[in-house]
Amino acid sequence: MKVGVIKAYLKKEFIDLWRSKMIIMVYLIPAMIVILFGYGIRMEVIHSRTVIIDRDDTKLSHEIIRAFSTTKYFDAKVLNITDNEALKLIKQNKADLFIIIPHNFEKNLMHSSDSEIAVYIDGSFPLRATTLEGYVQGVFLNLLEKNGVKVPFKINQRNFFNESMRDENGIVPGLIGLTMLIAPAIIAALLIVKEKEVGTIFNFYSSPVSKIEFLIAKLIPPFVLYSLNTFILFLIAVYIFKVPFKGSFLLYFLASEIYIAISIGIGLLVSIITSRQVTALVLTVLITVIPGFLYSGILMPISSMTGESYIEAHLFPVMYYNHLLYDAFLIAQGFNSPKNVEYFFILIFYAIALLFIGSLLLKKELK
Amino acid sequence: MLEVRNVTVKYGNIVGVRNVSFKANSGEIIGFIGADGAGKSSTMHAIAGVKRFEGEIVFNGYAYHSPKEAEKIKPYLSLMPQGLGLVLYDNLSVKEHFEFFRNIRGVKKDIDYETRLLKMAGLYEFQDRLAGHLSGGMRQKLSLILALLPRPKLLILDEPTTGVDPISRKELWEIVDEFRKKEGIIALISTAYMQEAEKMDKLLLFDEGEVIAKGNAKELKESIKDYTYEGEIEREDCFSFNNRTYCLKPLNLKKAPPLLEGVFFVNALKKGKKNLKINLEEKDVKLPEVVVKAVGLTKKFGNFIADDHIDLELKSGEILGLLGANGAGKTTFIKMLLGLYPIDEGELYLLGKRIKSYEDRLELKSKIGYMSQRFALYEEMSVKENMEYFAKMHDLSPKETKEKIEYFSTLFGFKKYLNDFPKDLPLGINQRFSLSVALLHEPVVLFLDEPTSGVDTIARATFWRFLREIKEKWKISILITTHYMSEAEYCDRVVVLKRGKKIVDEEVKKLHEKFPGLSFEEIFIKYYEESG
Amino acid sequence: MKKFFAVFKKEILVFLRNVGLVFILIYAFTFDIYIAGEGIEVKPRNVSIGYVNYSGELLAQKILAHFHAPEFQKPKRFLNEEELKKAVFNKEIMVGVIFDKGFEKDFIRKKEAKINVIIDATAAAQAEVSVQYLTQTIYSMIDGKMPLNIKVYKLFNPNSNSKWFMSLSELLSVVTMLSLVLIAVVFVKEKEAGTWDIMLLMPANGALIIFAKIASQIFILSVGIVIGIGLILFGVFDVPINGNLFYFFLLTFFFVMAMGGIALVIAAYSNSVLEVSQYTILVVMPLLFLSGAWTPIHSMAPFLQKLSIISPVKYYIEGAQSIFFRGTDFIDLLPYFMGEIIISAILFYLGYKKMGRLF
Repeated sequence: MKVGVIKAYLKKEFIDLWRSKMIIMVYLIPAMIVILFGYGIRMEVIHSRTVIIDRDDTKLSHEIIRAFSTTKYFDAKVLNITDNEALKLIKQNKADLFIIIPHNFEKNLMHSSDSEIAVYIDGSFPLRATTLEGYVQGVFLNLLEKNGVKVPFKINQRNFFNESMRDENGIVPGLIGLTMLIAPAIIAALLIVKEKEVGTIFNFYSSPVSKIEFLIAKLIPPFVLYSLNTFILFLIAVYIFKVPFKGSFLLYFLASEIYIAISIGIGLLVSIITSRQVTALVLTVLITVIPGFLYSGILMPISSMTGESYIEAHLFPVMYYNHLLYDAFLIAQGFNSPKNVEYFFILIFYAIALLFIGSLLLKKELK
Repeated sequence: MLEVRNVTVKYGNIVGVRNVSFKANSGEIIGFIGADGAGKSSTMHAIAGVKRFEGEIVFNGYAYHSPKEAEKIKPYLSLMPQGLGLVLYDNLSVKEHFEFFRNIRGVKKDIDYETRLLKMAGLYEFQDRLAGHLSGGMRQKLSLILALLPRPKLLILDEPTTGVDPISRKELWEIVDEFRKKEGIIALISTAYMQEAEKMDKLLLFDEGEVIAKGNAKELKESIKDYTYEGEIEREDCFSFNNRTYCLKPLNLKKAPPLLEGVFFVNALKKGKKNLKINLEEKDVKLPEVVVKAVGLTKKFGNFIADDHIDLELKSGEILGLLGANGAGKTTFIKMLLGLYPIDEGELYLLGKRIKSYEDRLELKSKIGYMSQRFALYEEMSVKENMEYFAKMHDLSPKETKEKIEYFSTLFGFKKYLNDFPKDLPLGINQRFSLSVALLHEPVVLFLDEPTSGVDTIARATFWRFLREIKEKWKISILITTHYMSEAEYCDRVVVLKRGKKIVDEEVKKLHEKFPGLSFEEIFIKYYEESG
Repeated sequence: MKKFFAVFKKEILVFLRNVGLVFILIYAFTFDIYIAGEGIEVKPRNVSIGYVNYSGELLAQKILAHFHAPEFQKPKRFLNEEELKKAVFNKEIMVGVIFDKGFEKDFIRKKEAKINVIIDATAAAQAEVSVQYLTQTIYSMIDGKMPLNIKVYKLFNPNSNSKWFMSLSELLSVVTMLSLVLIAVVFVKEKEAGTWDIMLLMPANGALIIFAKIASQIFILSVGIVIGIGLILFGVFDVPINGNLFYFFLLTFFFVMAMGGIALVIAAYSNSVLEVSQYTILVVMPLLFLSGAWTPIHSMAPFLQKLSIISPVKYYIEGAQSIFFRGTDFIDLLPYFMGEIIISAILFYLGYKKMGRLF
């Protein structure tokens, strides 16, 4: 292995990345994905436009209205309209839900006869509707308790890892896992396929440059650039999204480095079977984005998966990295947990296997 | 010593080249000649160890049978693949290329040597320029000196001069020649220019994946002297090109010393190929004497003046050759004539009408036929679908369209390819098909931008016969650019551009009278060098 | 008009012969939507649950019996709290329930009985939904004993079938993405293949060529949309359509024109399909972000709410949801149409001017 060759290739790659402005994509796209999606995917629903139709007009009904007006979850408005008019407001997308307090509500409640409050929620977006349903019930239960109504059970909920149930805490680390799977793979694939498409690959084919030298020279740039990205994304998570970082930075960094190597390995495999940059781009996105999303645990916990999806989740490296990532951010067990150690080694195995297969398949000749 | 023994190269089930064998000694230049796809590149790739092959290659006593085994000889060889500056990185400067190649080839910095190379290539002053900003000719020269940088013992150049102007071509050739003498290298060079092939020590003639003849230029020419006659005639069993006629049957014509390209014609005849019959009916067209007139046309790109006050007249029924080095402003000029570039200064008249606005242009688009360097037609559509599309765009009725397709495909001999896709056709067929598309709407003037680049000799000969027929029978004016100086002989008049200025505007006949005994290429170079 | 159709037909042919693009179109309008609808379900499903019981069996089992498929896996018993916590840490269990020693006694004595619940909240959304479900299940057991009856009606989608919403959302995202890519590519391909000059030399008005090219891509998209809606939305997921499908296509048309405007700008600046795909990524993400597809617009930061007014995707997505789910009357759809038409007129004008300059 000749160090001079690797140095020359590296210098060329970095000059090219800089002058072709590709470097912007390297740093802009991951940050953009994390920031946009971090802000964009919000399960918490606030300021829901709520219409309260108060046909009772009593102390209790006013109390209900107050309860809905003092939380950030609802923007309550009291209107004196018919059911149909209220429905129309939802159809016009001017309200998200309406609550009807019927005539004689307080009276009925006091006399313990049947009292019913009807809540109509726009169910177009089911998750939003389910969330709102929970909020509404919460508000009413609170109200009842305050008024001295006994509830037989009390649920004492303790949230692990993400005590305040902030969406960001769960989503942002997951997004880091997703971008670090997609982005390095794309750059690694493009760096090699570009040479094939343009024809400069002949400089490698017809010269004494060895396969290993070429691979090292091609894979180091994305590796180094994205190593820096692990810091940038860390800062975005901790400072912009205020995600707590409880665990070991060393674990985060090491796992990320191995994970970048895995991603680059995927890019290498793509570069072997494609000869045009567009194809390489599309193919990389296809094989990384979907598993990246589905098996990351952002959308659905791995423990909820069954059958094929359970197996697939274990086949893709995303799950293992995300486990370590959440540990570093939220759990902080580090290497004390045997599971973490196991997953760490699985990642190392993936990295070595992918890079090994890639370097075996890379041929120093025309197809 | 290089010895190639029974080398066969396959691409899947398709055979690129079959059973090639030859020997080469140090200091020799071996020329590979033949049509596109005849197997030249495949052979070169096998020798350079970048493509799997069957058979054996021995270089200086070391035998190899696969790219893997060829690794051992790679320190001693340089390959320059086909295409303008394919091995260059657009974002690296000339200087950075030297540094990169020096390092990957593991050669020490030798300032004297590198300066010599840079000066030879005329790139000494452009060391800080990015490769992406170099002209085509400069890119080829840079690729060549980079190939020479590690002082290879085996130099493989795949069509280094295609698409390169005569001046750069001459310089490229001088560099190679000097090296071969000084360093005693073996050079394998493929070329489409017969003048270059003449200078090689040994020639391999490729045809349809096989080597059909070997020997030096003299021997090859000698082999066809019985079939070579002077002058040009129209016959189905004869080919004529460059004032020679080749025929297997004895003709009642004077014998003439054969030209190297004759080898292709004779080979085609021996394979039973027939000369395409050309039969255009006379058309009675009344056109003004001057079809296109440009006065002081100027085009600037920033500070760079691509065309500087160029006057030009294109007369009816005339073939005008527009010549010049790469980057002299020919393509820009044609694009101004076509209205693809706005004119910065000057006036343009078409059929006596001043062209100013977009609307003027639109009105006259149907009078113009254009064929670009890449014969650019739609690859996703079959030949017929392409023709139908262009016919509709030119407002031809379905009946006319059908007739025209029938007429042109018969006339230009591509009828059996009508349902094929352009990318599956030989270059020569594509070229004629593109020409027929340019002629579909019966234009009065044709603009052809390097229509013969990369096309094999026989196809070029046929193409020129068509051009002359079209000019004579249909009275169409033709403006053509080309890098083949022998083709300029077919033009009635030539205009030469140099760095955006017109330096020659003269009838070809008169130029020959002025410089008796010189070939047109020599005349061209003379003008170019003298004009400073 | 003849020339218009000549260009139109040519572009359709070119598209059909481009195996890669055809594949992407079919994939996007079928499998992609299917995967999104099937795979992304934010509803408790198959949640792993574990418990520790320090109290009597009777009541605990009665409660646990309510956690069943498809929402929950069979509750798994752990011997002590430590074991349960470990399982949660290792992500084997998402929800853990601990019944304290006094639980059953407290309940019988009508004291407040406490149920301890621990959850893995890393996937906050899932966690939240699961806890809500759990809470509701537990409360439903005591519903009869409650004085107040809260009846919740979920309009348009009473069973909270998230496949409906997810598949429609994905369809709209696909339309957004592909309208940009297809329209930009139809111009950039001519640049890449070197046929640009030939195209300009056709004796046809530049506007005619531009419109014919865009029309051809709109046609291709429409076929894709029909396939997506017919095969996947209606065929596989049984998505309801409470409004008029025709309005949806009309809205789609204006939306695609707006995206076409953006695509023309991208096409004017790009020289290769690769560049188109890079610019598209940069443009699509903020557009979708401002659309309200993921987060309700009124839950966003105020300045983003203002910014979203100029997002063509916002009107499209809200309008489409109103048509499909809310069954909104045409008169109430007008705001979406107005917004879309104004934005598409502006964007298309800008794009057309940018591209027109190249003709």
